Amino acid sequence: MKRKLVALLLCGAVALSALSGCGAADKDVASDRDGVGEESGVGEDVGKNDGGSKEDVSGEEAGITYPLDGGSVSWYAEGNINPHEKYADASESPFHIGLSENLGVDIDWSFPTAGSDGGTFTTTLLADASSLPNIMLTFWMDKANQLLDDEVIWDLTDYIEEFAPDYYAWLQTNPAYDLAMKTDDGRYYAFGFFREDGGWNDTYEGPVVRRDWMDECGLEVPETISEFENVIRVFNEKYGAVFNASYIRYKDSGFSGAFGSYANANSNYGWYIKDGIVSLAQSESEWRNYVSWQNKLWEEGLIDQDILTEDDTTIKSKIHNDKCGISITTMGQMNNWNKEREAEGKEPVWIGIPYPKADDGTISSVFGGPGIGTHTTVITKSADEETMKLCLKVLNYAYTEEGFLYWNYGTEGVSWEYDDKGVPAFSDMVTEDPDTDPITKYNGTTWGAPGIQATNLLHLKNSRASVEADDAWFYVWPDDKEKNLAVTSGWKWPVGTTFLAEEADELDEISGNIPTYVEESYVAFLNGSKDIDDDTVWNQYLNDLETYNLSRVLEIRQACYDRYKAR
Amino acid sequence: MKADSVNKKNSQVLGKRLVRDWNLNKWKYAMIVPVLIYLAFFCYKPMYGLIVAFKDYKLTRGIGGSGWADPWYKWFASFVSDPYFPRVLKNTFLISALTILFGFPAPILLALLINEVRNGIFKRMVQTITYMPYFISLVVMCGIINVFCKQDGLFSQIAVLFGGAAQNYLANPKYFRTVYVLSDIWQKIGWDSIIYLAALAGIDQEQYEAARVDGANRFRQMVYITLPGLMPTIMILFILRMGNILNVGYEKILLLYNASTYEVADVISTYTYRLSFPASGTPMYSKSTAIGLFNTLVNVFFLLVTNAISKKSTKSGLF
Repeated sequence: MKRKLVALLLCGAVALSALSGCGAADKDVASDRDGVGEESGVGEDVGKNDGGSKEDVSGEEAGITYPLDGGSVSWYAEGNINPHEKYADASESPFHIGLSENLGVDIDWSFPTAGSDGGTFTTTLLADASSLPNIMLTFWMDKANQLLDDEVIWDLTDYIEEFAPDYYAWLQTNPAYDLAMKTDDGRYYAFGFFREDGGWNDTYEGPVVRRDWMDECGLEVPETISEFENVIRVFNEKYGAVFNASYIRYKDSGFSGAFGSYANANSNYGWYIKDGIVSLAQSESEWRNYVSWQNKLWEEGLIDQDILTEDDTTIKSKIHNDKCGISITTMGQMNNWNKEREAEGKEPVWIGIPYPKADDGTISSVFGGPGIGTHTTVITKSADEETMKLCLKVLNYAYTEEGFLYWNYGTEGVSWEYDDKGVPAFSDMVTEDPDTDPITKYNGTTWGAPGIQATNLLHLKNSRASVEADDAWFYVWPDDKEKNLAVTSGWKWPVGTTFLAEEADELDEISGNIPTYVEESYVAFLNGSKDIDDDTVWNQYLNDLETYNLSRVLEIRQACYDRYKAR
Repeated sequence: MKADSVNKKNSQVLGKRLVRDWNLNKWKYAMIVPVLIYLAFFCYKPMYGLIVAFKDYKLTRGIGGSGWADPWYKWFASFVSDPYFPRVLKNTFLISALTILFGFPAPILLALLINEVRNGIFKRMVQTITYMPYFISLVVMCGIINVFCKQDGLFSQIAVLFGGAAQNYLANPKYFRTVYVLSDIWQKIGWDSIIYLAALAGIDQEQYEAARVDGANRFRQMVYITLPGLMPTIMILFILRMGNILNVGYEKILLLYNASTYEVADVISTYTYRLSFPASGTPMYSKSTAIGLFNTLVNVFFLLVTNAISKKSTKSGLF
């Protein structure tokens, strides 16, 4: 037995050391998943309750006290719940050791094989459905019906109130949370990831500009799309710089909001909801105007020709060689640009600016989300009824006051202390640690986890410039919360919708060509190889979308959305 | 009666020969065992999975538990009737054909040239330099290509030097195939020439001496001795290459293509990749398996045809 354990540890060590080289990159990819490719978004009432989480989730009246009296569970997780790259495996990782101690339960951890993409790895585990770990972090919300019917995961409806009272209480604090975490017929099946801020950090992407050039040219922060265009023009005349961005960032939303549209080239963002109707942004005249505007800039040489092949790494040579002074990127990347400038002894000049509005002051959407993740943690049927109940208690922990602090900051007195204002702050042990992302050695909620991410954690984790940038992007209407949420997430396809098994099969079969076709048409319209202003070309494009089953796809999505709303 | 006894004798001889052979070579046979195990587990056992192409496969239900597709050719029909089918098929053939047309002779030429070089240091230097790109990982390789092809990259700068215009070569559908084929040659030319150099070393030197005595210059020696000597190797490699005509690897295309070049770069394997690892929705394992099977059948067809032609014309073939 002992020998087996040693062998297992060794395997883990080898796997992790192989992974360690790309640890930092992995994290970045994981955080991208927020929006890209995942369907997230929700209705108006999201986040009404933000800020009040700690009081709401107190576990006292519930009666579950931690640590529990022993037992053991197996747990599969990925992304930021992987042990920090410095540790060979979970048995060395402070977060995992502490969690097990606080829970009073032995946890047999497993993680994706080194080098594999977490999302894909998780799905392929299903191929051996009989030997799944008890607890699993998954991306399976849209096929929850099938998994419940096939008895792969537990239906938690009858147990959740008794064995996970704090989690249940948390769900009841906000109707949107409760709506997202069950199926159309009201079955609970998952523990979700929630942002305490109700979506602020889901708008982690937005326009950025060089402050020094703005000052030199005597420009104000642009508010409308015309002023924004003017900044591009002035920078082009004065510095020969053009607009450029990493394509995977730019293709999602871009500045579509200023044109009354909802997406740029990425059709996963294009499925939006207005007044209860599901539509595809890329099939509408607002999008046509937006792309036509981009085409105009392209023809005048104001958009970098390399934009389609640009990624977060290659863009840096343009950024640091004064070839680009206005762009669209993430908090993290902007922070990197500034840091790299500082390393070269230059001023950190990049700042976030608000998303431009239309010239009449309206704006339909900005990149964002409802503060609910699509990664949910489920309990599989490999757990018998008793183990399942234990798993519920284990997962409930993160939603108690004590567990909330542990999942966000680690152990009090070790990795964090309350500061003079009574707010948690990381200790020197973390802040002085030269390793990449030292916070993740001690906490679990820097990204998708079964728990609630503290807004304070994001403030501690990110630089001030990044936090200010996020503020600029997110607070489109700072004085009107409802209106603001409508713009940042109200238009998005909701998190937690579930397709019926037949619908899911049909969608897989008929909808595969739309993303490809939309994207390649976008590029052709952008560089002018197809003239988007020509009605024949535009109508042909719409007809082609129809042959790729657009109407039928919308029909299925509408039915799914209606069921979700009726929950 | 007579035939019978001959048969009997033959079988006795065969038996004896087998026993003797076994005694003589048993360790050599033992060495084959790992290979056989490898083939059994990694090539034959997975063939069972092909059954998925004829089923409505669901991961959670397993291969046995999933229902049969109705009709049985459902996924093949779904692939062939897809509006993108003609395009991916055409692109696959074109890219593959161009790679064979330009990429296949390149290492042969290089081997012939290296063979003619008499200066040892120079020869080894050339070999090392041409081998090197082969050892660069594909991801890094494509990163390099990406940077070279940019609007302010190496190729644009060369173009500008000769009066051309700077542009991004990877964003222009006209240049995608050129970039793909040339970079493929650049990466593999050195490595692929090794086998030809080995074959060259096997050509009898006396033939060259005889040719020199007959007054043949070096070019004629190459045409009449070296090339025919290489022919069997060339033919076998060519037949094997034709057996991969529909296997345009998805890795390199995925790393190099973007939305502006989909129309010339989207091939069967990238199409299959998108089905198996979709940005949203469930992987369509049944359909991608069906496409894989289709791919294999076409490849086998080409392999057999090439082999037949080769046997007719050059008297050498695989089987």
